[in-house]
Amino acid sequence: MDPLDQLRNFISAVKILNDKEWEVFSAIWQPFECKRKTVLTAAGETEGHLYFVLEGLQRAFYIGDDQKEATIVFTYPSSFSGVADSFLTQTISKYFFETLTASKFLRTTYRQLEQLMNDHASIQQMVLKLTAFALKGVLERQIEIQCFSAEEKFRSLLKRSPHVLQIIPHKYLASYLGIDPATFSKLLGSVRIE
Amino acid sequence: MKFNSNAILEELEAEVRQLILTASYLQKEDPELLLITPGVGKWSVIQILEHLNSYGRYYLPAIEKSLQSHKPPKENFTPGWFGNYFMRIMRPGADGKIRNKMTSPKDHRPPANPDIKPVMDNFMNQHQQLLNLLEMAKQKNIGATRTPISISRFIKLKVGDTFRFLIAHEQRHFVQIANTIHEIQGVTGKFQSALQAIQHSPVFSHD
Repeated sequence: MDPLDQLRNFISAVKILNDKEWEVFSAIWQPFECKRKTVLTAAGETEGHLYFVLEGLQRAFYIGDDQKEATIVFTYPSSFSGVADSFLTQTISKYFFETLTASKFLRTTYRQLEQLMNDHASIQQMVLKLTAFALKGVLERQIEIQCFSAEEKFRSLLKRSPHVLQIIPHKYLASYLGIDPATFSKLLGSVRIE
Repeated sequence: MKFNSNAILEELEAEVRQLILTASYLQKEDPELLLITPGVGKWSVIQILEHLNSYGRYYLPAIEKSLQSHKPPKENFTPGWFGNYFMRIMRPGADGKIRNKMTSPKDHRPPANPDIKPVMDNFMNQHQQLLNLLEMAKQKNIGATRTPISISRFIKLKVGDTFRFLIAHEQRHFVQIANTIHEIQGVTGKFQSALQAIQHSPVFSHD
């Protein structure tokens, strides 16, 4: 499928743009690709780009004390990507954003998107809706992190996104769930998913 | 040999971010580790970082000055002879090892016991600034404006070459940092993988 058609499909789940609106919205995206393990945003930078993933796997992560690393989000086709909070607020990112495999994207800049949001109410509504659903996901994950046992977190992840076991290296999944890699392996061997 | 100007600036940005990432792991290391010199006449990790800072204090303002030029960007960038030469002798080999030993000029030798925090803060600030300069450079002709090198004001590099040379110099010293930590205690896992990412970075395969 044409990359822009993929993008149009994706956003149509939250907002249908008319042809005129789609024409201006589709014009702000440029193709971009890079190798695996490319750091696209460093902590301390302000995220300048919004990415739409066409191929590959990426993650955003935080480096804590004792080199404890927290993977906060994975992205893969078809979804938006980048450091969302830094992008939307145009403040400094606390997170690194990197590709885990060779990746292809469409991407745009904050300035271009901001311009369109100012000029077109429907595009602003679309961005608001996408942000709202992202917020919903973050809050749900917050509950899982605070209230769930390692096994419950593991089950919940597999129920929500069973395909991630195939595409994401398990050490990163363990980091995402905040459980020990050894515990993760044990759960993988013992937990039955209906 | 020529490169797409924008693509090479994007690659250099990714290299700098990799250095920031690696330094972030160092920042979370046991501070003691950063202060130990592995042998007589050898530098501690923090001394190596301060050595890099001393170059940044020269090159960042010099680059900023040459980016004041109003020449519009060109699609392609061809490295100059000197630029390529300096970059080649600086950067580690494709295997991530350093063969040609060099002696640092006197005025870039770090003090014996620098404090960790100011050195780290300075390193991080300089690298955010370097990212900003690379971003600015996308709007300029990086093959036209020239920056004098630190050891001789008579040798001037295209600003695109100055970026490549400066970053290759840093990568060289990050290999030294890894060797230093290895000599002290054996390299820890995460730092090792961050370092491998530097060694496999595109700058090393620019031939």
